[in-house]
Amino acid sequence: MWKWIQAFASPQNFYLTSKKIIPWLLYPCIALCVIGIYGALFVVPPDYQQGETYRIMFIHVPSASMSMFVYFVMAVASGIGLIWQIKLANVVAKVSAPIGASFTFLALVTGAVWGKPMWGTWWVWDARLTSELILLFLYLAYMSLGNAFDNPKTASKASSVLAIVGLINLPIIKYSVEWWNTLHQGASISTIEKISKPAIDGSMIWPLLVMFLAFGLMYAALMLMRARDEMLIREQNSRWVKAVIMGEQL
Amino acid sequence: MTIVEYFSFLPFGKNAFYIWLSYSVVLIVIAILFIRTKSIHKSVMSQLNVKYSRES
Repeated sequence: MWKWIQAFASPQNFYLTSKKIIPWLLYPCIALCVIGIYGALFVVPPDYQQGETYRIMFIHVPSASMSMFVYFVMAVASGIGLIWQIKLANVVAKVSAPIGASFTFLALVTGAVWGKPMWGTWWVWDARLTSELILLFLYLAYMSLGNAFDNPKTASKASSVLAIVGLINLPIIKYSVEWWNTLHQGASISTIEKISKPAIDGSMIWPLLVMFLAFGLMYAALMLMRARDEMLIREQNSRWVKAVIMGEQL
Repeated sequence: MTIVEYFSFLPFGKNAFYIWLSYSVVLIVIAILFIRTKSIHKSVMSQLNVKYSRES
């Protein structure tokens, strides 16, 4: 296992493997997005309390959970990069940040647009919303700290520490709706008991699951595409990169 | 006439503005992510191409 990880984590192997994997992530992602959005907008019935507006949930919830998942990946990769000095881990952490920041931005914006007709306001300083906003600031801080150093090694060290410290925010976001009295509603399918008996009807749940999968694949595809290019730049003085580039040109 | 009423000709009537606004924001942001990824790829390729053709 360890040997396999080491072999895959070598820059050259990663480049070649990711190139093969990317189409297998990208095309299913597009298909699932189309199916999920069609189901969310035109197939599932309106909600008995919220009417049609609850259809925003099908993009809001996957964006929000991806915003946290990507941060988790980023922090774990940062930790691996700090401890074992694996180049691939640092690259994954670096390229994940703008993608995660975009998901966080989407969660906040779609939440605001959903909040206006349901709560009567675009924004409240509620625990869930505030902690999600802090997550966006953590992403932005991580990205600017990473760009603040000329030496990429120092940059990834400094930003890795920030990413790991910021990990404390994830449980705060997750449990904010239970710990505090929030305007934001509680989770519908998060805990184990709720998976067997979700707080959402079966006929409404399938586009949500499809969108979860689609957003997950989207992150994986975007991350690999960006990591591949970042790896080429970082390894530009090694022979394999030259072979790859000159080979592609021919 | 408010903007919400203006967009009520779309499917979902009085909620149309909110629903279509959120879906279009998501679509635009995701499109930007992919376009940006592609443009990074192009610039990396041309940058490295220049570097290696100068060396050889």
